[in-house]
Amino acid sequence: MSKTVKIASIYPTLLGTYGDGGNVAALRHIAALHSITVSVDEISPGQKVPANADIYVLGGGEDTAQSAAAAALHASGALAEGVKNGAAVLSICAGYQILGHTFLDAEGKPSAGLGLLDVTTDRLEKRAVGELVAHPLSSGPAGISAVLTGYENHGGFTHLGSGVEPFASVTSGIGNGDGTTEGAINGRVIGTYLHGPCLVRNPQVAEQLLSWAVDRKLEHIVEAEVEALRRERLDFVSKSR
Amino acid sequence: MNTPLRTRLAIFAGKLAAAASRLAGRGEGMIIGGTVALKLSPHALEDLAQGRVAALVSATNGKTSTTRLLATAMSQGGPIASPTTGANMTEGAVWALATGAPGAQAVLEVDEAYLPRIVKETQPKVVLLANLSRDQLDRMSEVAMLARKWRTMIEENPEVLIIANADDPIVVFAAEKAKKIVWVAAGQAWTADSSVCPECGTLLTRDEKTWSCSGCGRTRPTPSWNFEWKATKGKTSATAVSPSGEKFDLSNLNLPGRFNASNATMALAACSELGYNLPKAVELMSTVSAVSGRYAIVQSGALKVRLLLAKNPAGWSELLDIMPPAPTPVIVMINSNHADGRDPSWLWDVPFERLAGRTVIASGNRRRDLAVRLLHAAVDCVVVEDPFAPDADLPESVRKLDVIDCAATYTAFQKIRVGALGEVDA
Ligand SMILES: [Zn+2]
Repeated sequence: MSKTVKIASIYPTLLGTYGDGGNVAALRHIAALHSITVSVDEISPGQKVPANADIYVLGGGEDTAQSAAAAALHASGALAEGVKNGAAVLSICAGYQILGHTFLDAEGKPSAGLGLLDVTTDRLEKRAVGELVAHPLSSGPAGISAVLTGYENHGGFTHLGSGVEPFASVTSGIGNGDGTTEGAINGRVIGTYLHGPCLVRNPQVAEQLLSWAVDRKLEHIVEAEVEALRRERLDFVSKSR
Repeated sequence: MNTPLRTRLAIFAGKLAAAASRLAGRGEGMIIGGTVALKLSPHALEDLAQGRVAALVSATNGKTSTTRLLATAMSQGGPIASPTTGANMTEGAVWALATGAPGAQAVLEVDEAYLPRIVKETQPKVVLLANLSRDQLDRMSEVAMLARKWRTMIEENPEVLIIANADDPIVVFAAEKAKKIVWVAAGQAWTADSSVCPECGTLLTRDEKTWSCSGCGRTRPTPSWNFEWKATKGKTSATAVSPSGEKFDLSNLNLPGRFNASNATMALAACSELGYNLPKAVELMSTVSAVSGRYAIVQSGALKVRLLLAKNPAGWSELLDIMPPAPTPVIVMINSNHADGRDPSWLWDVPFERLAGRTVIASGNRRRDLAVRLLHAAVDCVVVEDPFAPDADLPESVRKLDVIDCAATYTAFQKIRVGALGEVDA
């Protein structure tokens, strides 16, 4: 029997505004394709965050919910412990911002993040809304090579410190806000602005997270429905330019 | 009624513009008519309202149906001015008042974001607030922000009677400061967008009937009106219970589902406050069978369909429950045009698993997103660009049906509705 991969969905009631629950659904689905057994813990605020999960997933959320989630995660400390134990983290949008040093709350005041990614977030001049296309970097995780597609919807400008690498480089859309980089990665901790949901549109990212968790390489499995969706979205972006 | 000359001229110009628009085949012209009138007379709405507006209805979901139910119930007292096409911004309100029966009481559906302005300018007798949830986030205000705007609006208009859903914590936060308020236990099937307190951010505690916040002590207000819904063995029954305990059977409503019975209860509470005969109101509401095409049975190309509209996860969740049971196939059309919201990632919040055991015909310009969503939900699906084409490659089981349910987002819904040769049962 191979091990069961423990997935912790962190505060989906707070951080799941933009269909990000689909990321957990995609992990479940893609794990099954690879015959990997998973267990999913949906953690609500007030419940204990496990320190022994293999993959943590954090989605996007409104300002008030984001601050509530950050406060609860601070108090818990379990996410930092999980990362120290080698867990993988996928954090999207508001979840990504929470992993940084600071982000802005509903009143525009800097609010303390968890400091698990060396980034800080302030405001973009204009909210970034629309299709986002980015290319993974050759220095990034070996399993992620295909172009990344998603939908962004955020007002945050995320500045990368020296302790992280960009997750990808933007070819269409805004991403972090500096004109070139999208998201951030350090070890197995990924932050990104790709909604869509991210893992639905980019199954390689899900496979990479699972590969870290089971500690072996996974061959990419292509599903026709997913490929058709990816092609259609990428065509849409290239046509609307 | 004494309408100022400037507004009368502006309405005249609006009517010319609307007529021109109709002649050019660009729809009913009410938006253009209202826009022209407002441009020529910025106070047109105030001038036209002058105490005529009995009720405004706002909500994320169900405002068109609730408005129709209420207007129909109130027609027992004479003609009611009420728009019939869901035009719910300022121009639509102007146009409904300008073109409805002169001097008639008005019942208007109002977009959530436009409500503060329209309340201020029309000074309605009552305002119905049914629910607030996420809707097309790429262009709409965040839910909490909207609730704060409603809250301010209510504080600034203390004379207006508010009829609000006690079961929706966001609506309660918005309405609780009202000087005159009637709480209705209208239910809330969709709680995903109100998991935390809109005031203090604490996770709300919920049980069967009530909710509360341990952070600031806010709890569900005690409702004056109650609403009971039972669904057993495919049979449903709905009852509204008045503050005095009088029961009104809503089982004969022609509009389907729990949410329409809930809408009818809100409308009944409004009728009570406005002094209408309530048994008569229930009887009249039962005559409403389709609302601006929703639930209408129409011929679309080669298929006869029952049209269902949903715009967001809360609305979709309700629709899945009124579709016929498996294995009856259904058509689902997802578009992402401007009016639908550009981002269909909410598909992942809709419990499409409930469609298991049937074949879904996935269509609309985001049919591929839907196909992947259904793949993950283990629901059988065929992707068809135009299911209404005579030569469409549809499963046998679809052709065998007399009427097939077609649930669609806004622009897909409108396209079928407008394209239908004639509504068989509108
Ligand atoms: Zn509270």
